[in-house]
Amino acid sequence: MDKSRDSLDRHCPRLGGTIFFEYCRTCGDEDQPCWKIADCWWEVFDIMSYLRENLTATQLNQLLEKKEQPQPKVTSLIDLIEQARLRS
Amino acid sequence: MTAKKIYLTEDEMPRQWYNILADIKMNPPLGPDGNPVGPDALSAIFPMNLIEQEVSSQRWIDIPEEVLGVLKIWRPSPLVRATALEKALGTPAKIYFKNESVSPPGSHKPNTAIPQAYYNKVAGTKRITTETGAGQWGSALSFACNQFGLECLVFMVRVSFDQKPYRKSMMEAWNGKCLASPTSDTQAGRDALAKDPNTPGSLGIAISEAIEAAVSDKSGSTKYSLGSVLNHVMLHQTIIGLEAKKQFEKIGEYPDIVIGCAGGGSNFAGIAFPYVLDKINGKQIEIYPVEPAACPTLTKAPFVYDHGDTSKYTPLLPMHSLGHAFVPPPFHAGGLRYHGMAPTVSQLAVEGLITPKSVTQLQAYKAGVILTRTEGIIPAPETNHALACVIDEANKAKEEGKEKVILFNWSGHGLIDLSAYDRYFAGELKDFELTDAEMEESEKIFASHPKPQMLKSR
Repeated sequence: MDKSRDSLDRHCPRLGGTIFFEYCRTCGDEDQPCWKIADCWWEVFDIMSYLRENLTATQLNQLLEKKEQPQPKVTSLIDLIEQARLRS
Repeated sequence: MTAKKIYLTEDEMPRQWYNILADIKMNPPLGPDGNPVGPDALSAIFPMNLIEQEVSSQRWIDIPEEVLGVLKIWRPSPLVRATALEKALGTPAKIYFKNESVSPPGSHKPNTAIPQAYYNKVAGTKRITTETGAGQWGSALSFACNQFGLECLVFMVRVSFDQKPYRKSMMEAWNGKCLASPTSDTQAGRDALAKDPNTPGSLGIAISEAIEAAVSDKSGSTKYSLGSVLNHVMLHQTIIGLEAKKQFEKIGEYPDIVIGCAGGGSNFAGIAFPYVLDKINGKQIEIYPVEPAACPTLTKAPFVYDHGDTSKYTPLLPMHSLGHAFVPPPFHAGGLRYHGMAPTVSQLAVEGLITPKSVTQLQAYKAGVILTRTEGIIPAPETNHALACVIDEANKAKEEGKEKVILFNWSGHGLIDLSAYDRYFAGELKDFELTDAEMEESEKIFASHPKPQMLKSR
């Protein structure tokens, strides 16, 4: 993945602190980008072109899907409970 | 002399929370198997008394005396008339805010942390786990657990943990234990560290760790707590708006517009839901959740014929577009976006009871500084989004010559988030502008498209 933008920083609305772009492109599931990456970075550079160039079509679709059809919180909590049970 | 602050006495504090689930229809949350989730599904991480609140459709729910007793440390919060801001803007609007920055951790978060700690205590919980980003929620929960003699274990995303040592200090001052996530204490953390020992962590990993820490305690005395999104969290926050209504009654006013920033939805819900009830019952009132602007659709974009979709299946339509390749349709959705938002807030938007607004980060910080230099409180960065909308509405009132009453939620102070302001003061925040080269590159995609005429009807 293109790392040339990694040192850009901004306030993260999810964490509530300043983060580098590197974090945004890797903090999602399986080291994929955060689902908010486009909304956070469009004011700074052409993030969509960046994503198109650096993600496979499947990865990009998964990112869009997560954003547009999010899993309800309760469902994700139940999912996490199940995963935790399997681990422990 | 005009009163600057309107107070309630402790005796005048609301004795019940307002539950909006009594007044709107919601689709039930579905489990991974596609079937509606039963209360038991969450019992591994939440005590049953909170799960009952989560699914309750009872309109008014009593606030226990023990909870009121702790809330009294800073509540009722003052309703403040933003007279200096009004003067600076030269607006006829009367602007009021609920000052939630006066709580010990400095935000609205303890409004739900306190009842959650209480209900856990009653249910026999000994320790509560949670995740936190920059530490606002972790601080609030540590404070709350301390008030009820519970242990608090906070998994703080490492990148924030390293940046904000004072948050850890706050949690420890309240007897909370704050760990940089990923930790080696959970399997989820160990897996993440095995993959990358230098990982900055993520909220996803921190949540997994917090839930695992609760689930793996076979005694059942460790539970998990969440500070946003869920119905019971929204419920507890309604004390903000309920107090505001009583305070306005004291001065014979009623807001025309209610504004709150909408991240996970809880501070917006807190100020807005009691007024949504009035709106449902026929009151004329505008209610605006505000969040960061999404990708642009009009400004800076060339007027061209373009496909409405990335697959180019839709016909070419004349539109302002940065190119279907630049911004696929899902990112075009302006206004309130629903991921991570409380389902109840989303539902109100769908039903047209609230009107989502969005502002750019530059507008937000500009507004935050105006408020800092008029009303004196440095706002939390998230609060700034609401402030930008407040200024916008106050200016509209000025243009229209209307003495509107505007209420907003000052959800927290930014004293531990000052680095967020550094980039603004350094002039590093700019409204989005494509460079000529980027614009040229972006427009290449339209080379083969026909050019629409700029028609005007009059």
